[in-house]
Amino acid sequence: MDWTTAAPAIGSAFLASIVEIVEAFTIILAVATLRGWRPAVFGTAAALAILGAIVLALGPLLDRVPLHVLQLVIGVLLLLFGIGWLRKAALRSAGVIALHDEDATFAAETAQLGAETARRKTSLDWIAGITAFKAVLLEGLEVVFIVIAVGAGRGLLWPASLGALAACALVLLVGAIVHKPMSQVPENTLKFGVGVMLSAFGVFWTGEGLGVEWPGADLALFVLAALFLGAGLLAASLARNVTKGVAQ
Amino acid sequence: MTILKDVLAELFGMFVADARLTAAILALVAISAVLIEGIGVSPLTGGLFLLVGCLLVLIGAVVRFAHAKAHK
Repeated sequence: MDWTTAAPAIGSAFLASIVEIVEAFTIILAVATLRGWRPAVFGTAAALAILGAIVLALGPLLDRVPLHVLQLVIGVLLLLFGIGWLRKAALRSAGVIALHDEDATFAAETAQLGAETARRKTSLDWIAGITAFKAVLLEGLEVVFIVIAVGAGRGLLWPASLGALAACALVLLVGAIVHKPMSQVPENTLKFGVGVMLSAFGVFWTGEGLGVEWPGADLALFVLAALFLGAGLLAASLARNVTKGVAQ
Repeated sequence: MTILKDVLAELFGMFVADARLTAAILALVAISAVLIEGIGVSPLTGGLFLLVGCLLVLIGAVVRFAHAKAHK
């Protein structure tokens, strides 16, 4: 395994997974607080089973796709996804859009779940389980995409999966200890970092898919990441100035 | 059905958070491909075009959104 490619792939999968799992964990915790751990665990387990099935189904299919085509398709998807994340993180960093607030999400989810159960008058545990299921499935889809995207181009699916699993274990461990929404996680900084790495991977894979041989081979990833970091910080600074200029 | 709708909406939102940003990135990739495959520009030049284009598109998208939000 070549660590110059593996380290960014594992790191990106790990950090992106932390962000998504923290978001899912907030909703699971809301469900568990309102209805106990049983529906929360059932909903989570069912969603994880579906996500696992998606990975198992896609894995063998990806092996059949020619490498250049795979790099091009995944590269373009990574560009769309990564630059989208980076754009949002830069806007949050500039104060143009609000930061994600896990405490607020927890309160809103708890209130919504309470209102829904009162309105529908069906089994409360069933609704709670579905809520946890949806949260894990929707946040997990992004994790699955990132793991496949950063891992498939160089046969790093397993290391990237391990990065995501390590993030999952870390969030669950910390969650079990603190037992409340993890509002202290520097979510936007993580999103900024992941957006930078995914965008760098996106340009790298797309270029390779089009036949580009990057100078320095895999080391070019670090240069691309530095450029995207600089562009993201510059964009955030310009956005801050725009907001200040209009306010004055 | 609601869950399936939510899953599809999530997948769509993952790649099309901002329609103009998405269109600009796809256009950059298409132009890079034409430069390399069609016109015969060296692949590295095509790759650098893609890189610089993506950096500019990112900055443009952030500033454009900030402008629009500030003038609302």
